[in-house]
Amino acid sequence: MRKINYILFGLLLGTILLSCGEKASKNDERLKTATWESIASEARGTTVNFMMWQGSTAINDYINNYVVPSVKEKYNIDLQISGGQGPEIVQLVMGEKQADIEEGQVDMVWINGETFFQLRKINGLWGPFVEQLPNAALINFEDSFISTDFQQPINGMEAPWSINQFAIVYDYKKVPNPPKNIPELENFIKEHPGTFTISNDFTGMTLLKSLLAELGGSPNALNGPFDEKKYKELSEKLWKFINDNKRYFWKEGRTFPKEQSKMHQLYANGELLIAYGFSEGGIEDKVLNGLYPKTTKGYAWENGTIRNSNYLGILYNAPQKAGAMQVINFLLSPEAQFKKADANGMDSNTVLAMDKLELEWKDKFLEARKRQYGPILEELEANAIAEPAPEYMIRLYEDFRKKVIEN
Amino acid sequence: MKTKKPNIGIVLFVAIGVVPFAAAFVYALLYSFGIIGVANQGFTLRFWESVLASGTFFKSLGYSVVIALVAVSLSVGGALWVTLKFRRQLEKRILSFVIYLPLAIPGIVTGFFTFQLFSKGGFFARISHKLGFITEASQFPDLVNDGLAVGIILSFITMVMPFFVLLFLNVYKNERIEELSILAQSLGANSRQVVHCVFLPILIRKTWVLIILYFIFLLGAYEVPLILGQESPQMLSVLIIQEIKQYDLDKISEGYVVAVLYTLLVSVAALALFLPKRKRAYAS
Repeated sequence: MRKINYILFGLLLGTILLSCGEKASKNDERLKTATWESIASEARGTTVNFMMWQGSTAINDYINNYVVPSVKEKYNIDLQISGGQGPEIVQLVMGEKQADIEEGQVDMVWINGETFFQLRKINGLWGPFVEQLPNAALINFEDSFISTDFQQPINGMEAPWSINQFAIVYDYKKVPNPPKNIPELENFIKEHPGTFTISNDFTGMTLLKSLLAELGGSPNALNGPFDEKKYKELSEKLWKFINDNKRYFWKEGRTFPKEQSKMHQLYANGELLIAYGFSEGGIEDKVLNGLYPKTTKGYAWENGTIRNSNYLGILYNAPQKAGAMQVINFLLSPEAQFKKADANGMDSNTVLAMDKLELEWKDKFLEARKRQYGPILEELEANAIAEPAPEYMIRLYEDFRKKVIEN
Repeated sequence: MKTKKPNIGIVLFVAIGVVPFAAAFVYALLYSFGIIGVANQGFTLRFWESVLASGTFFKSLGYSVVIALVAVSLSVGGALWVTLKFRRQLEKRILSFVIYLPLAIPGIVTGFFTFQLFSKGGFFARISHKLGFITEASQFPDLVNDGLAVGIILSFITMVMPFFVLLFLNVYKNERIEELSILAQSLGANSRQVVHCVFLPILIRKTWVLIILYFIFLLGAYEVPLILGQESPQMLSVLIIQEIKQYDLDKISEGYVVAVLYTLLVSVAALALFLPKRKRAYAS
């Protein structure tokens, strides 16, 4: 019995030591200049780990029942999905950097500008790789909403996957004339106290960015590098507006929802009359699932709401970089983007430029199933504003906590 | 040969229980001083200063202590009352099943249940609306994500009280309180005196260590306050995770400062509570 104990203990210790010492050096630099044929042949038969946000059944269905079998059939790639978004990805990369792990657990990630900024800061991404992808030729990189992420050029370090715009969500039966600017919002919450709030997350901060731009006097007020003086001046006005009217907010402004999903539930059960979110408000699937009433609509703020893209990146220590490139290239193919645009499915706008597509695909996209409830991207286009520099977001987070929540 | 066996037990305990914990603590300590961490630039007291100066930690600590204290007191009080009044009924199968069922439910599920039942769009709000007590969702009282932490405390009680009922019933049997009560009564004590001088002292004295451990457990609870808490002040674990996962990578170390402070506090409290008792027990 004692021997068995020692053996078990030894095994345990051994595994711990082995897992710490896992290192392998591999020269991935050549992939940046290799031909696509050689990348594709290297990708064949690999297992690629994809970390992504799994909070939507429509997205999970698209990935698990379409992408995973497709890449297996076409390229013999086993695509493994693991759950995790922004902070989890950053934590993972920071932990692996700290531990000097050369072959990480994850190959590719789905990120937005917030995470791109953080990963760039700690050199967590591998690239540039986007130019190597044949399907990247179908994307219009002249479009600044695609080629610039939080005022930073993407420089081939991440591949755009879809593009969307922030929209305000309301029920036209309950609110025939929703507010479109700050003075109207002030009147609205005074008339309907308790029906508006700001979620303390990415979504809420994005709304604050729109308000900040409005206080700056124009849709482009926050463009360019971070400007401390401008931020101080505009944010003071913003906090004053919020604090002066806090008592008309949800729960009299004593607390704020932690995240957008909670705000959406509050809208669904009628506590809030106004909600907001990316993906043109994300209305379609919520109405189809019965969460939102069919009388829900979406619109853009008069001075504009943020439009941005979300992206796919490869981590600096991805063991299967070629495999990840092949999967990303597939995700950018007209076939995969068309499937993703289905209004009854993932309902996400393609990043492919219509004028670069073959006629057959162009027709397909134009005839695709359209949204019945939510606004389409083109309707909001006139009111699109770019993401300001990341420092604005950092400061808004911090000051919203200090000057509003804890106030 | 026989002396070897406990040794390997201790080695395993140290390897599995102590080493990872100590390693994590040292890691957090180094992180809090900026010595490690990808975004950090070397030793600094900046993070400690900013945490201690902001007061968020102390507010959060006070808030957590009050919530845990209220929840444990109500749970223990309730469990004592149930044990005293419904001892016999609890021997029946169905009733005991109903009482013990919450023990099998994880905290995160309890949190969601509470939210579903008590939120303004929840079960009770809907019933009140149907019955005409309220006409709008916003009229229903604030029971979740509220300033008084009613939702958190309710969840804690559902989680903890059944355990104490079970514990007290066992102690009641093992310490033969039934027989002692009869004896006291036959010696002339009234039922009040039996409760105050026999029932309560024995139960509390036999279980106080567990009561304090549960207090510490609730102090560090995460899922329930995450779902049912408000944005400020927050309970400690929620605050720590929020700081560690924050957007500004330069300030992640502040989360580790809070974690280190919390660990130190709980360790010191635990040592202060348990060490002197042990010595006395060995001495006698």
